[in-house]
Amino acid sequence: MSLLVGNGLTHWFGRELALEGVDLVIDTGEHMAVLGDNGAGKTTLLRILATVLRPTSGQLEIAGLNAFRERRRLRHHVGYVAHATGLYPALTAAENLEFFCDLQDVSRTRVEEALDAVGLTRVARRRAGELSRGMQQRLSIARAILHEPRLLILDEPDASLGDDAAELLTQVMKDKTVVLATHDHALANRLCPRTLVLRHGRSHGTATRLRVVR
Amino acid sequence: MNRYERWAAAAAALMLVAGAAIFLYAPTDYLQGPVQRIFYLHVSSAIAAYGCFAVVLVGGIIYLRTESVIADRFARAGALVGVVFTTVTLVMGMLWAKPIWGSFWTWDARLTSTLVLWIIYAGYLLVRRLSDPGRQAARLAAVVGIFGFIDVPVVHFSVTWWRTQHPGPIIVNDALPAQMLTTFFLTMACTLVLAAVMVWVRYRIETLTDERQHIAEAVPVVAAREPEPVP
Amino acid sequence: MNPFRVALAVARKDIRSEWRTREMVPALAQFIVLALLIGNFGFHIDARNAPAIAPGILWLALVFAGLVAFGRTFAAEREQASLEAMLMTPASPVAIFAGKAIAASLLLVICEAVLLPALTLFFGTPFTGDVVAAVLLATVGMAALGVMFAAIVARVRARELLLPLLTLPLWIPFIVAGGQAVQSAMGLPGSYDQAIGLLIDFDILFVVLTSLAARFVLEE
Repeated sequence: MSLLVGNGLTHWFGRELALEGVDLVIDTGEHMAVLGDNGAGKTTLLRILATVLRPTSGQLEIAGLNAFRERRRLRHHVGYVAHATGLYPALTAAENLEFFCDLQDVSRTRVEEALDAVGLTRVARRRAGELSRGMQQRLSIARAILHEPRLLILDEPDASLGDDAAELLTQVMKDKTVVLATHDHALANRLCPRTLVLRHGRSHGTATRLRVVR
Repeated sequence: MNRYERWAAAAAALMLVAGAAIFLYAPTDYLQGPVQRIFYLHVSSAIAAYGCFAVVLVGGIIYLRTESVIADRFARAGALVGVVFTTVTLVMGMLWAKPIWGSFWTWDARLTSTLVLWIIYAGYLLVRRLSDPGRQAARLAAVVGIFGFIDVPVVHFSVTWWRTQHPGPIIVNDALPAQMLTTFFLTMACTLVLAAVMVWVRYRIETLTDERQHIAEAVPVVAAREPEPVP
Repeated sequence: MNPFRVALAVARKDIRSEWRTREMVPALAQFIVLALLIGNFGFHIDARNAPAIAPGILWLALVFAGLVAFGRTFAAEREQASLEAMLMTPASPVAIFAGKAIAASLLLVICEAVLLPALTLFFGTPFTGDVVAAVLLATVGMAALGVMFAAIVARVRARELLLPLLTLPLWIPFIVAGGQAVQSAMGLPGSYDQAIGLLIDFDILFVVLTSLAARFVLEE
């Protein structure tokens, strides 16, 4: 069953074409990587899939619902990790998560579980602003999984994570449908059976076990 | 000449007719002298401006409900033309005030609310100019336009109320002899035509600007199709 | 999803953040001190004209403090892209607005709590329940509008210029009615009750309107 169906997704930023007619279908439980150079349109595509950005044209269906009209209902199915962490530096890691628990209407017990899942239990009482970039990234991931979403959208989560990125991400991605944007081909191959390649905003199709020869 | 140029020329000609009426047909006011002739254009501009801002209001409401790009373009056109007419109103008002009341400005209800009107819609134009073009800019501006339109009568009312707490000098009486009335209605009609033409031309410009930015009415995709995998 | 809980969570988060960083306190303190200094040396104040001038100083300081406080309320969110994260949740935009309005109002109320006694101390104006009521009522409406325009300019360039430009016209009715109410409460001619009635009417009008506008302003 397809969880996500995108058709002709196109986005213009003023007069710049960021994304041109991208089609994709993602089945439930699939892990798909999005590869492309900087400026290829990865972030734009991910933001559209996460329903954060509405494309200038194109259709998107998530779980059978029109993604733009039913955004409110879909929100609790989607978890999104952006480039920017979106954390409050003056609040502790735990307080950050507690705040989002309140907004998500999710029990606060999830805070401990999420911190544990990303390995941040030690620093729960430390202010988010004082955490290293890698830890902030993990906290951002923790926030995205608080409400146990079915669809997880990750924009270059490995950028600051370090060597154990693959392990952490494998754990987090288990049993979820995932779209992951990255520069790291090896990581993409390891984590995701399917890959979509973007070049200058256009999709060059998806492939299984894409091997890139350099 | 294309049709825009033709209509613009016609509107300009009408304004010349109104100008002739103002200076040649209307009698000189007994109390205020020739300065009083400013009144015809001053009040007509004010009415034209309000008309334009009503277009902004309606366009904004329609946009918020339906995301119609056409409504947004009319709103933008109305805002710009409205600010132009408000500027004319304010300047003429000040030129009139100085000889009649002795100062360029008083904080009475009408002047204050006209100034507020100008500030609000200048703000509207700035919001549009300073945001990235697209849906969000249109939405934010629509909200500004709606709040602005509601604010003007509220401000007018507040200041009028405040004046009842602090009584001040009464303003000039508005009774007009027949010739002046005719001149006024003629000028108002011509000004409204001018405003409508200007909004229409501006609407066309906004449409062209949008096309360069690839902003168009949303076209629904006909059928969903499966993507082809790379072999 | 209980909107009150959401609003309180947002308010608590904003207040906690501000308390821990104390970024706004110096700016607001500056306004208060300046307002008092200028009031004294800029005008020739004595016991007779103090009730006429003091309300002006009060509103001047409050308007500037308000612009700073509301200007900051969405600035932090923008810097950390956290507004996006908040909008990914089922929390309603109105509740988010309400929470931010509560937090920003609290800052303003603290300023008022310092200014009013200070005006009494330095200029001898009365400090009565009537005065406090007038100021608080005006704060409600000004907060609703301030938060909404702050959200609007957060997405736009040149926000330091735009926020006052957009907000002040909408604040004028509150300054007029509130100013009159405070003046009446301090003994000058004019109807206190009418002024308060107007403030309440304006509060209701603009709180309702900003609540309706919330979802258009916050959503993408």
